[in-house]
Amino acid sequence: MLSFYDILKRSEEGKYMEEREFDLKVVAKNARRLVKEYDIRFNREEIVTSDDSLADDVWKAGFELALETGIYCVSTRRIIKFTEEEIKEGLRSAPSQLIVGEGRDARLLYARKIEDQRPPIIMGGQAGAPIPEEFYYHMALSYMQEPLIDTINHGGLHKIKGIEVRTGSPAEALATILELRYLREAAKAAGRPGIHLLAAESSNTCIGDLAVQNPEGLRKTDAHLIAILNDLKTDYDRLTKAFTFKIYGGFNVALVDPVIGGFLGGPEGVAIGFIASYLLSRLIYYADYYIIHPIHPKYVSTSSLETMWVLNIVGQAMARHTNFILMGDVWTSNGAGSYEIFYEITANTITNVVTGSHPLGVSATNGKYPNASGLETRFMAEVAHAAVKFKRSDANELVKTFLKKYYPERMEKPNYGKPFPELYDMETIQPRKWWLELYNKAKKEVADYGIPLE
Amino acid sequence: MSEKDTLCKKLFNAIVDGDSDAAREAVEKLLNLGVDAYSIVKECMIPAMKLVGDKFAKLEIFLPEVMMAAEAFEKCMKLIEPKILAEKKSELVVGKVVIGTIQGDIHDLGKNIVALMLRAAGFEVYDLGRDVPVAEFVKKAKEVDADIIAISALLSTSLPYVKDVIKLLKELNLRDKYILMVGGGAVTREWAKEVGADGYGENADEAVKVALELIEKKRKKK
Repeated sequence: MLSFYDILKRSEEGKYMEEREFDLKVVAKNARRLVKEYDIRFNREEIVTSDDSLADDVWKAGFELALETGIYCVSTRRIIKFTEEEIKEGLRSAPSQLIVGEGRDARLLYARKIEDQRPPIIMGGQAGAPIPEEFYYHMALSYMQEPLIDTINHGGLHKIKGIEVRTGSPAEALATILELRYLREAAKAAGRPGIHLLAAESSNTCIGDLAVQNPEGLRKTDAHLIAILNDLKTDYDRLTKAFTFKIYGGFNVALVDPVIGGFLGGPEGVAIGFIASYLLSRLIYYADYYIIHPIHPKYVSTSSLETMWVLNIVGQAMARHTNFILMGDVWTSNGAGSYEIFYEITANTITNVVTGSHPLGVSATNGKYPNASGLETRFMAEVAHAAVKFKRSDANELVKTFLKKYYPERMEKPNYGKPFPELYDMETIQPRKWWLELYNKAKKEVADYGIPLE
Repeated sequence: MSEKDTLCKKLFNAIVDGDSDAAREAVEKLLNLGVDAYSIVKECMIPAMKLVGDKFAKLEIFLPEVMMAAEAFEKCMKLIEPKILAEKKSELVVGKVVIGTIQGDIHDLGKNIVALMLRAAGFEVYDLGRDVPVAEFVKKAKEVDADIIAISALLSTSLPYVKDVIKLLKELNLRDKYILMVGGGAVTREWAKEVGADGYGENADEAVKVALELIEKKRKKK
């Protein structure tokens, strides 16, 4: 693998280019050409495809995109490029399994295969959401106490002790320290002190990540996110996060979240952009595992038709050609407390589990409101465990059936549900009766479609 | 079909295809034919951008194509603008928007989409880019006599800076002079209302719709 110094050097000595030129003449042009060359086509009827050759084409096109495009460093306006051998070395050295967490709470996080019958690792929490400090701990506990949830990725704090957290301010450090403190306390209270945390969500810059690189904050068995900026870009801040955490000894997680309709183009271009981003993030971030998070230009959610197709094909392409460990996001338009959220979770989770990724969620309301709880993530976990029995063709039919129940009407006008304190009893941290009844009703409905939840 | 109609069609297609050279050539020929500059914009160019906006909304084309179309449109405008009478010029522009991603936030893809969709809807758009310092929004709005200041924020940690823009506008007694719109991943409808923004867009479609409504309201007030 290339050293930090090699990467830094390339970010400062690579080819200089204006960003607009990189967007249009490099990314857009190459992505469009490769989609055409490999004849990659988005198929609305095959959200979960059984076509292996399509996955192979997406893989090949994505590999070429990584090789030809490289990654743009916004801070220096230079392109970091890699040779084919270097990219292949990144592939060879990627871990196919990791022990995450500690003691009896440790889990084996592994690279899933297509139609993999092993139980997936469930990562729970309302990732990406700003959570009010007054119920951050309680909400975190609602996930930690769910036995089916193996690991945690919860939201961040946007206000601490009444002070708004501003990007680049010392509050980012303080908020991230507090976030980890609440998460640790919740883990202890749930009797799972060693549970794996993917955290430091309260800070956008590297300030927060640097502040929690210690055993009271993020342990060496924990992880933090480093985003690939859209599309195929990075900057000094993200490289700092990557280098320092790797030196510390923790796990780097590459977050890839391109918008469909952006410079990469439609779902097909975004799919190959994912592959390229993973290959490049392995090299520049030393990523240990990876998040698949396609963004819909209108609904944001990963549960839309287009975004699920991307989840499906990226998962399959990666599973067929790499040992990369993938977490597929479950971001819903509807919120906890609504009935519709269960439909979105069902379709999205089946798609992820059958096509090579572990489910991560539920980030209800796309992380806009703290309208989420452990209960709908329990539902996600149950669907995930049931989905390991499905073949891709069966999964496709089920996903289409559930999609029809919310797409597009309930994404156009979602039911945002209710905030956590209205969903759970704040003293017992148990779901309120009406919310539990809604969950049981959804379980029954899903079982009627041949998805028995245990 | 008359020569004017043929050339107008050529210009329309060139903009939709993002072919700046072909678009410029068609404009020059139309002007040489003696076609009024105002009608070239109104009848050939604006409908082309409208179609581009509609196609993007349906995901039939993507951001690069919209950018190329906008570039072709703007290159033609540079050629044609001096030939349009000042009083007619204002009829072609729905309104002026100063847009940017707020300080501390480097996520600009969503903002770029909104900026292009506003352009396609006939707005004159001044895109300040990303990580834009608070005072820059006000400075640019004053400089171009903007109708709308539109601020995007993806990160919840960049929201306090949006409030700073509003605070600054109030301190300078300029808050009522501009329509203030907010949007982006971190912004909710409730937050927009709470900070006193005039408009909010959940997505690019809604942002354009709201901008058009607010401009119309402003015009009626005058």
